[in-house]
Amino acid sequence: MKYLKAYGPLIILVLLIDTVSEMISTQVFKIGKIEISILPLVFAVIIAILVYLIPAKPIKKLYNDKRVKFAGKYMILIMLPLMARYGANVAPKINEIISVGWVFLVHELGNLGTIIFGLPVALLLGLREEAIGSTLGLGREGELAYISEKYTLNSPEGRGVLGIYLIGTIFGSIIFSILAPLLLGMGFNYKAVAMSAGVGSSSMMTAASSSLAALVPKHSDTILSFAAASQLLTSFIGTYIMYFLAVPLQRFMYTHITSLLDKKKEVYPDHD
Amino acid sequence: MTKENNLYELFKDAVILLLSVSLVLFVQWVKLIRNPKSTPITTDTLIGLGMLWLFSLLGIVISMLMKKVPWKIIQGFPILGWVSIVSLIFCLLSSYCVRVINAVDFLSLTTSVLAFAGISVTHRLKELTKISWKILIVAIFVFFGMYFMDTLISQIALNLS
Repeated sequence: MKYLKAYGPLIILVLLIDTVSEMISTQVFKIGKIEISILPLVFAVIIAILVYLIPAKPIKKLYNDKRVKFAGKYMILIMLPLMARYGANVAPKINEIISVGWVFLVHELGNLGTIIFGLPVALLLGLREEAIGSTLGLGREGELAYISEKYTLNSPEGRGVLGIYLIGTIFGSIIFSILAPLLLGMGFNYKAVAMSAGVGSSSMMTAASSSLAALVPKHSDTILSFAAASQLLTSFIGTYIMYFLAVPLQRFMYTHITSLLDKKKEVYPDHD
Repeated sequence: MTKENNLYELFKDAVILLLSVSLVLFVQWVKLIRNPKSTPITTDTLIGLGMLWLFSLLGIVISMLMKKVPWKIIQGFPILGWVSIVSLIFCLLSSYCVRVINAVDFLSLTTSVLAFAGISVTHRLKELTKISWKILIVAIFVFFGMYFMDTLISQIALNLS
């Protein structure tokens, strides 16, 4: 009974959000020649946030500390059946995945894209230590742990990684569900876009791969299985890519770009 | 004591997983109302949901056990990954598993997860205003750069193979 009173309204809220999102259903937009599909899952995030922003007392009560914390703490558990569902997507495609296994391994190098694209921009904008935290990766758990261990989260580097973490947590699924169709529209093969979906969190992967599958329904099985397989691989080796490739690359680019910008060599901040 | 605590935690997890699969069923039902041509709810769907529940629970148990293994790579492997692996193994061994799980509509699994995600971030929205606009711009390049480069490398490698 105690639990029902505490969490019942939360579950009713989720049911309402689900219903409205499903009634809106998948919407396909066209930007120029590029098709972008927005799925109910994206509407669910947006509605959950919009309802919270309604300035009314009952809403503040509905989104009380206890319930919001519950949603955060148990989101992983709520997600587990989805992760189990991926097993049935990957299994029938396992031979196809193994036959291009080396592609899955090599494409993990794409994780360095955060540094190659993000670091020059950050340095040009005048960021220095913050640039290190904010461009090491997508600010997921691995980077967060590394930066907080090396620099603490109260440092400028920590602020950088927390910023990216926060943006990814709030907008990640929306960003990924736009990026995947965008890259498909740019002319990339759906397989390449699908296997690249597994680079961030599992909800980002789900958002990217399902909006891609909605656009290429004929190959939706391949898309979902490729995305899930690459997510699994990233969970295994993502941290090692960061340690052994991302950090040295970042150090190299940081010292060279800052010496061009500041006319003097800046030292890549190591912990003291 | 810890053993009892673990069992209690596991029971709590099992209840929340039950909530999760019930939400999936609800969403699949709403989907059917909206579009009668979407995946129907059959006996297979119900068995499939039960199976997803079971695999999730097994994944939790394995993740608990693996925390005791001395290798860091295994210890740090996320629970989400274990569940996928458990399910993958069962699905490789039996095509029955694949059949019943496929009777569960894929997208129906995603909506509630993201609803929870949306609710869980609401109290952190204020922190967004503290992030400098520079980091916001960097974020755009970081997200795009990651996905773009990953896709580019995959495309080149796929063309080579």
